Amino acid sequence: MLKDITLGQYFPGKSFLHRIDPRTKVISALLYIAAVFLCQSIMSFIILLAVTLAMIAVSGVPVKIIVKGLKPLIFILAFTTIYNVFFYTGDTILFHWKFITIYLEGVVFAVIMGLRIICLLAGSSVLLTYTTSPIMLTDGIERLLSPLNKIKAPVHEFAMMMSIALRFIPTLVEETDKIMSAQKARGADFSSGGLIKRAKALIPVLIPLFISAFRRASDLAVAMECRCYRGGSGRTRMTKTHFGARDAVLFALTIILGVSIVIVNIYLPIWVI
Amino acid sequence: MTKLKLVDVNYTYSEGTPFRKDALRNINIEIENNCITGLIGHTGCGKSTLVQLLNGLLSPTSGEVIFDGKNIAEKGYDLKTLRHKVGLVFQYPEYQLFEDTVYDDIAFGPKNMGLDKDEIDRRIREAALFVGLEERYLEASPFDLSGGQKRRAAIAGIMAMDPDVLILDEPAAGLDPIGREEILGGIYSYQRKRKNSVVIVSHSMEDMARYSDKLIVMNDGEIFMQGICREVFSEADKLMSVGLDVPQITKFMRSLKSKGVDVRTDIFTVDEAKAEILSKMGGCGNA
Repeated sequence: MLKDITLGQYFPGKSFLHRIDPRTKVISALLYIAAVFLCQSIMSFIILLAVTLAMIAVSGVPVKIIVKGLKPLIFILAFTTIYNVFFYTGDTILFHWKFITIYLEGVVFAVIMGLRIICLLAGSSVLLTYTTSPIMLTDGIERLLSPLNKIKAPVHEFAMMMSIALRFIPTLVEETDKIMSAQKARGADFSSGGLIKRAKALIPVLIPLFISAFRRASDLAVAMECRCYRGGSGRTRMTKTHFGARDAVLFALTIILGVSIVIVNIYLPIWVI
Repeated sequence: MTKLKLVDVNYTYSEGTPFRKDALRNINIEIENNCITGLIGHTGCGKSTLVQLLNGLLSPTSGEVIFDGKNIAEKGYDLKTLRHKVGLVFQYPEYQLFEDTVYDDIAFGPKNMGLDKDEIDRRIREAALFVGLEERYLEASPFDLSGGQKRRAAIAGIMAMDPDVLILDEPAAGLDPIGREEILGGIYSYQRKRKNSVVIVSHSMEDMARYSDKLIVMNDGEIFMQGICREVFSEADKLMSVGLDVPQITKFMRSLKSKGVDVRTDIFTVDEAKAEILSKMGGCGNA
């Protein structure tokens, strides 16, 4: 159950995407997201879809895992699609019954909106979170933001906090599972009763969870101090990432994606929205 | 008589992902009544997974878990009642305490069973006695207790549910020798008085030799050996071949024999060893 949360989880591998500098991936992901929103015609959506599927294929992350990661979005997806089907107005009437009118344009728009959300999430998570370990990711963000050090922004501390938080998500999930099992073994019931009863049933889980989170935090602080951690200044890295040919390729590809989408929007305006 | 058994059980974690791991393979075991069963094996051999199958917290990938003659995977089987009858104390149970007082925390299980107040009170005091928790601690906050006392309180919480089968996952882990002795001794006397069945998971051969009647030895997700203690420890070579140990006194008897003294080597308590050596010395020793 709790272990099924896969959105934003690292999937180890050695693909082209896995070996790219995290900085490149952060920037490419931003460009990709911009490209998703630039898509305005059916042709540009076909390009976007092809690129997204190609990325998934290259990354080596099983489609099953990606679909599982999209599950939490089912509600938003269903809502957007249904809303657009019923309330988008156009010229071609597909179906009319009393006050309900469905236009062809509405159906197309609904499908496109749904695809846009799916591409946005699947694409950016394949580019970033599935193929970049959390440590690499925060490292990349820290180095991208390092110019902000000039204006005395605590970039290193921010990145450290982020990597610690990311590092402890699986631990806390595991711990929650364990405590829930333990309380179930003592006859606790988390799945029946009304809202209030269920919320109350979580107290035996939350209290031990908080206590152990605080204990972990203080243990970690002591362990870090024991190893002479004293903030970012003068700290060197164990692994240095470098921009290489791969990064240039990914950069070029994302820029080509963006440019071709704009061009297609202008010169092949079929089903423009 | 067996109350609880596993038939051809397999368990696989994260099926269909790169993290897939066979935790248990072809497990066939029977947990007997009125008996302390020791479940022993290396870290990561699947002991903790196995005990969670026993009370239905995990369901086997294939195979059956039978309690009182019924398959617990059957539709409509009441898992909640099963968990009242098969009590499971997790590893480091002290991290699950949450109530304001130790008394209330021990009461959590019995309360979930829907018992009346007097009965709960009686059970709490009895359980506290078994684990050696003094009366004055009952009104204290569980977070003010020492590690060992917390552990006792947590174990008492399951004992108070009075299960037919009590399973403890490493009940003595991380305690000092006196603490170990007291907790394991408390569990021992509890079982002898209740005559129910107790399963203790451990990786200490010493402890298991002292406190259990039957042993199940696991290695790498499979049952490696099972039987009464004497049978298991008499095959010391087999145990050592997978890197498991035998109690020190058994090792001592073995080296005595290899030095030419004709003694039995299926001995695993000091008292037994003493008697054996004395008899071999022709009863002339005054040890």
